[in-house]
Amino acid sequence: MTATQERREVARPPFWRDIRVLRVVLQIVAVAAVFFLFRWFYINLVDSFDRLGIALNFDFLTSRTGFAIPYDANFQSDSPVWQMYLVGIKNTFLAGFCGIIIASIVGLIVGVSRLSDNWLVARLATLYVEIFRNIPPLVIIIFFGFALFFFGPFPIFADSWEIAIAGNNLLILNKDRWGIPGVAQTGDLLLFWIILGVGIVVTFVIWRWRTRVFDTTGEPHHRVVWSLLVFLGFFLVAFFAAGAPFEMSWPALSENRRIFVGGFAFNWGFISLTLALGLYTASHIGEIIRGSILAVATGQSEAANALALSSFQRYRFVVLPQALRIALPPTINQYLNLIKNTSLGVAVGYAEVTALTRTSIGNGRPTFQSIIILMAVYLTFSLVVSLILNIVNRRLALVER
Amino acid sequence: MTATSPPTRRETPGDWIKERLFYNWWSGLITIVLLPIVLYGLYRAFLFFFVNGQWEAVTRNLTLFMQGTFPREDQWRLISQILIFAFAFGIGAGTGRAGAKDRAEDAGLPYEPESIKSTLARMWSLVGFVGLLLYFATIDDSGDVLKPFYLVGGAILLAILGFQIAKRVPRRFRNAGWLVMAVLLLIGFQIVSGAGASDWIPMALILGIAAYVATPANFENPAARIGLKLLVAVVVAVIVRFIYQFVDLPGIPWDEWSGLHLTLMVSAISIVLAFPVGLFLALGRRSTLPAIRIISTSYIELIRGVPLITLLFMGQFVLQQLLPAGTDLSRISRAIAAMTLFTAAYVAEIVRGGLQSLPRGQTEAGQSLGLTPGKTMRLIILPQALRAVIPAMVGQFISLFKDSSLLIIIGITEFLGVREIVHAQPDFRGVSIAETLVFVAIGYWAFSFAMSRESQRIERRLRVSR
Repeated sequence: MTATQERREVARPPFWRDIRVLRVVLQIVAVAAVFFLFRWFYINLVDSFDRLGIALNFDFLTSRTGFAIPYDANFQSDSPVWQMYLVGIKNTFLAGFCGIIIASIVGLIVGVSRLSDNWLVARLATLYVEIFRNIPPLVIIIFFGFALFFFGPFPIFADSWEIAIAGNNLLILNKDRWGIPGVAQTGDLLLFWIILGVGIVVTFVIWRWRTRVFDTTGEPHHRVVWSLLVFLGFFLVAFFAAGAPFEMSWPALSENRRIFVGGFAFNWGFISLTLALGLYTASHIGEIIRGSILAVATGQSEAANALALSSFQRYRFVVLPQALRIALPPTINQYLNLIKNTSLGVAVGYAEVTALTRTSIGNGRPTFQSIIILMAVYLTFSLVVSLILNIVNRRLALVER
Repeated sequence: MTATSPPTRRETPGDWIKERLFYNWWSGLITIVLLPIVLYGLYRAFLFFFVNGQWEAVTRNLTLFMQGTFPREDQWRLISQILIFAFAFGIGAGTGRAGAKDRAEDAGLPYEPESIKSTLARMWSLVGFVGLLLYFATIDDSGDVLKPFYLVGGAILLAILGFQIAKRVPRRFRNAGWLVMAVLLLIGFQIVSGAGASDWIPMALILGIAAYVATPANFENPAARIGLKLLVAVVVAVIVRFIYQFVDLPGIPWDEWSGLHLTLMVSAISIVLAFPVGLFLALGRRSTLPAIRIISTSYIELIRGVPLITLLFMGQFVLQQLLPAGTDLSRISRAIAAMTLFTAAYVAEIVRGGLQSLPRGQTEAGQSLGLTPGKTMRLIILPQALRAVIPAMVGQFISLFKDSSLLIIIGITEFLGVREIVHAQPDFRGVSIAETLVFVAIGYWAFSFAMSRESQRIERRLRVSR
């Protein structure tokens, strides 16, 4: 009682030493400083754009691009600039997606191999990690792009390799493009996509149902078989109901052996970018996986041994499910790095969004707006990926007792 | 019951092969499949390195790779810089060694210095790279073959000299070793970049801070104490300012630097500049003031969400227009600004990790001693947090060093960019592409590998000392 009274009697300090006043003042000063900095930037920007005679708006997005995109026949130089950005974003996404798949698979193999009992395997994995981790990704990309595919000491790329079955090419390896079978559209796809969309939902429901059956009764779930069969059924129904709207298209070389006809062709920029980034990131992911496996308690491995699980079963059912949970957050970081690193495609002429932006700046598009769009694209990529993977992470995370 | 040692079995090579290569049928199958592939790879690598490789593109352009388009007649500047840096690093190593010995003695522990052999073994990738350079220099018949050997020998001698001197400095003056090292590094830098009346700021900062720390001021009144220390610091800074008035060493500004020299310098300058910015951003992100926290967090997340290359483009194309008309920043200054702003965000996250790793009890202990929040941070939290993040900072420096290769995309000829000059020469147009690339890759690899080993070692030592 007396204590509270005493505290009330203490005189408030002068306002310049009063923490409550200082907190407010400090924040106002910080906000004002940031505001005036940006205002200063903006005034200078308007001033110099006035002098250069450039408009500070985004009208240029509808003007014609003025250059063609290599290996993209659908894009004409008369297409508007916003369409160029869409092509770039698509290509960035494609490279990032394929790179992530390569990095995940190779990274998992390397991470597990580093802990292998087999001396040769463990040494090779260590060598791989130490080499790829310590070389700039740009050097690796340029090496793949210019040394391996164009001039390399590897003669197999000097001419095309064709692997064919029954007269249809399954794979063509050329020195600047690789062809694989693709599909060619022959009819209207709308009905097909609608039925397939329903099929995906039904498949998901079936998967959940089998899981619930397994959880409640303990019967074998066979959910992969069930889901695959259901999905295949829907696929066939959709295909024939829509009147066979597409057909297989096999890659082939034209008469002069320079142009690809049919199939799906990757160009050398894409191949070297995704391979190089995939292998570079895999060395980082491998280290993450290795650390996570080591972080799983030894008792878990010993328990698996006590149950007489084979070494494969031990990894598949005991160690990896726990290790991958630990590995997920840092791996997400590596995926984001990989997506940001696709901007290095500019070095091998791959038409991703950074390379196209640079070319369009060179063609006289306003610098400031172009780069702001570029940054916004990457920020969106980063935010979306981290959002998706954070949701996955929350679902997978162990429920702590 | 007599104690008997457990039966030991000497492992024969046959046992080793059986245990490590053919442990079970699965392992044996992998070995049998992999072994020919590995042997073939080794054979191809051998052919590439020793038989088929046309290394002339590298050996004839060795100087170009090292210093790029830096004026040849000013090469003495680079040589003096290397020698001064070697001396400075020797002093730093000696001071560190002596400090470790003091601490061990204080704690009553035996001190075992690291042998030169193990230091060299730790740095084997760098030693190997220097060896490779020296070997290539002997093949090169255009220049003075012995000059590189004199340079490396001189640098080693100076490093040993600095180490021995610093080791023998009495304990009272121990911290002066770090000061001498910092001053020497700056002098080495300014011998290349030039020093005149307007270049006094970094030196005044170093000596001013040193004077502030070193001034003994035993006043009760904190205002008087800080006032005196500040006064001395300002006086020292002003003296430095006037000394620089008389220094007139015209130099080569960093616009004209290139090659490996530029790569190393740009990464070092950027990390040094990024550190204070990152530190304040980290403190801002941990602040209890919402406005400051929001500003710091949005900066960090914004920068971390975009690739470095977009910031380099920003520096290259837009920075000039964001500043008042007439400001003329050089291309490399703008690149350094972009790399600093980029790295600061990552440094901030590293420092934040260090701050978060400290238990709350440390702050509370500071508060219970009656320290102000500022003093708690400066005397208790930061020393521990910054020590804990040293390995991560080295890791960040490695990634900055690797990222400096991106400068080639905005047209700056750093280590990787020198290749473009080499392949523009009539002799090497379109040939030896792989050779120059592999050489550059080995160069980057040697530095990164040595640094990553060093960071692992520091990490182990920190874990032990905790």
